[in-house]
Amino acid sequence: MAFRIRGVPGGGFPAMNTRRDFIKTGLALGAAASFANWSKLAAAETTPAPAGPRPVLVAVREGTRTAMLDAALAALGGIGAFVQPGQTVCLKPNIGWDAPPERGADTHPEIVSHLTKLCLAAGAKSVTIFDNTCDQWQRCYENSGIEKAAREAGAHVVNGKDKSLYREVEIPGGVKLKRALVHSLVLDSDVFLNVPVLKHHSGTGMTAAMKNLMGVVWDRGFFHQNDLHQTIADIMLVRKPTLNLLDAYHPMVRNGPRGKTVADVVEMRMLLASVDPVALDAAAAKMLGLDPAKIAYIKFGDAMKLGVMDLEAVDVRRINLA
Amino acid sequence: MSAGSTWLEPMRRRGLKYLRVVLAAGVFAGLAAAFVDFRGLVPVAVGRWLASVQFVPSAVAFATGVTGALACLVILFVTLAVGRVYCSVLCPLGIFQDVVARVAGWFRRKQPLRPYRPAQTWVRHLFLWGAVAGIAAGAAGFTLSLLDPYSIFGRIAADLFRPLVTLANNALVGVAGSMGIESLYRVAPQWAGVGALALPVAMLVLVAGLAAWRGRLYCNTVCPVGTLLGLAASRGAFRLELDKSACVKCTDCLRGCKAQCIDLRTGTIDASRCVGCYNCIDACDQQGISYRWSWGRRAERAPVPAVKPTEAAASPERRAFLAGTVAAAAAATGANRLVGVTETVKAPDTNLSRAICPPGAAGVDRFLDRCTACHLCVSACPTHVLQPAFLEYGVGGLMKPRLDYTVAFCNFDCQRCAEVCPDGAITLLALADKQVARIGLARLDLEKCIVKTKNTDCAACSEHCPTKAVDTIPYGENLRLPQVNDELCIGCGACEYACPAQPKKAIVVAGRRRHEVAVRRIDEKAKDPRKQNDFPF
Repeated sequence: MAFRIRGVPGGGFPAMNTRRDFIKTGLALGAAASFANWSKLAAAETTPAPAGPRPVLVAVREGTRTAMLDAALAALGGIGAFVQPGQTVCLKPNIGWDAPPERGADTHPEIVSHLTKLCLAAGAKSVTIFDNTCDQWQRCYENSGIEKAAREAGAHVVNGKDKSLYREVEIPGGVKLKRALVHSLVLDSDVFLNVPVLKHHSGTGMTAAMKNLMGVVWDRGFFHQNDLHQTIADIMLVRKPTLNLLDAYHPMVRNGPRGKTVADVVEMRMLLASVDPVALDAAAAKMLGLDPAKIAYIKFGDAMKLGVMDLEAVDVRRINLA
Repeated sequence: MSAGSTWLEPMRRRGLKYLRVVLAAGVFAGLAAAFVDFRGLVPVAVGRWLASVQFVPSAVAFATGVTGALACLVILFVTLAVGRVYCSVLCPLGIFQDVVARVAGWFRRKQPLRPYRPAQTWVRHLFLWGAVAGIAAGAAGFTLSLLDPYSIFGRIAADLFRPLVTLANNALVGVAGSMGIESLYRVAPQWAGVGALALPVAMLVLVAGLAAWRGRLYCNTVCPVGTLLGLAASRGAFRLELDKSACVKCTDCLRGCKAQCIDLRTGTIDASRCVGCYNCIDACDQQGISYRWSWGRRAERAPVPAVKPTEAAASPERRAFLAGTVAAAAAATGANRLVGVTETVKAPDTNLSRAICPPGAAGVDRFLDRCTACHLCVSACPTHVLQPAFLEYGVGGLMKPRLDYTVAFCNFDCQRCAEVCPDGAITLLALADKQVARIGLARLDLEKCIVKTKNTDCAACSEHCPTKAVDTIPYGENLRLPQVNDELCIGCGACEYACPAQPKKAIVVAGRRRHEVAVRRIDEKAKDPRKQNDFPF
């Protein structure tokens, strides 16, 4: 009787031919996982639990981008917990700027590529990628390295500057943003993965998960005209991402969001993952040395119950891969 | 009749015409593709190279000292050797007329007989001397932009054909029912303003109309390049000649002749108007038309009794040619002198320009002097910030490209316009120099700024600024207010484009008439903002 462990990224396990082999390997894996990766998890669980289910935030450090992505997903139940076979996946990285990957202005192509492969391996029918960029879009797609990496991984890369692909939607709970033209990929895909990059931002203080969704609307000018922070919170009402994965390998800590040179990035080698964009942004703020309560859109997000800003009320799972 | 036969004799019949058609088709396809390229798919070298070998752009580059701009001399030399092949093989406006004439022919029941027409000499010379006078008067850029056939074609292709091709592409995307994924996607068509579009439309109607009616009438009446090259061709070493002993006056050659320059009564071909299409050679069953060595055979060739050498020297043709050469030289020095003057003139205190010209142009005056408004850069500009001007530069800058920050802004890492510019109007700088080339200065009016008027965060200007000349400072309760550091500003327009303030933008770029060099600030490596180096939460 042969057992195969399937769907494990990186694979490479020896074939197990006996039940005893399987049990041994399983025990060893479990032990390794709990000691190496989840030692901090036990500590986190000791904090008093508030009423209701606590949102989970996974924070991974000290690995390669792909290893941290794998570890974060594993801690959340694997990609299979978010992507079912036959589903269409829309992946929204930050491709806002015409800058090479080392400048940290855009989500790193390695993350986009690896996530695409994971989705397809999990049986996704298709993976599509777009952004409504700030710089000229073809240059952003090309020079960020995302277009090539995503295509090679099997994703479809879609023009975010084609107005005919946007549809007007009502936003019932929106405070300032009552309606918006939103990219149809966001509205129509079964799974919506938000894959931002952590950066300083001269307008809002920082950008991570919530701010990244400004790239799914056609008219960004409206946001700037009508209380940037409130409209950023409002746009989250259109469609809450299935999962938010924050690239914080080398965040741009100043001159953001465009940045000038590689001198603007600091290598932190981190990745955050959460279904809760507010909790994720709150943790991200602290990585930039900022107080989440001072970032108005995080506060608005919390007030509108889009997520939890208070990290004490969040189940933070810390994984150090070093 | 073997006395005048040459080494070209064997390839006399079909070869030359087919060679011409193949070369012309290649040149036209390359240039047309470069001009209508709405997706940036055509390699830069294609447009750049095919534009650089055009007569007027290369003459401008040559006259202003751009190294390697020798195509104009080669064209003159070739014309002096074998006639106006430039007009049939390289000139896109010429080839375009052939295409139009051909298509017009499909709608005619019968190919019309186009009998010989005498040259419109005085009209031709009016345009040629008008152009020379314009150049000599210091309005080289304006004059050439109106009359250069390559640039006339460029504008028609870039400003009219490109948006039409874009619309066709978009229709195709729809028909395909595609989501715009991968190979095909929609692109917003780029239409120039009505004022800037008027002249290309008028020229299209004029040129295409004349071509459909009477072939190369435009080239042989209006075009000063055609007239200038015609003066050289009429002194050419090899000229197409009619073998009167072979001619049976069947008029087959006339049906193919686009220039109406074959006179069967006198048995002569007007070399000044022949564009070297070789249709007549191909059409003649008697093999009666061929290239013949013409220097030193004037007496033999002339249909009238031999003229004395002194009279020949004083012939209107030769006089015109000599005068043309002298005037061209004078015009060239005139242009040079003017360029020198504009560079040294000290403007009183202001260095302002209403319209903004691209980095690498060095300044508005130099730019307007050298640019022939071919719009290759307008087509190539990936952001479309380069738009044809109407009167923003003044009348002299009609149709010259300007940066329009209501459409887009100049990409910090891009120099595509300089890469394609064929006449040296936009110099290709080192990228680091382009990134400090100040073409304008951002002017911030905080009273219009959204942070102040609405008391909310915005900073779209600072967000887009590539040099961080526009930064933010703390303001009010937890807000960020933009400020401009002039030293660092290059006037790329990112701030102006992004500014959402209405009805008037709070930050606008004022053009610099003479471009300046901004300060390049080198930042130290950023420090880790985390309080502890572990998980900061």
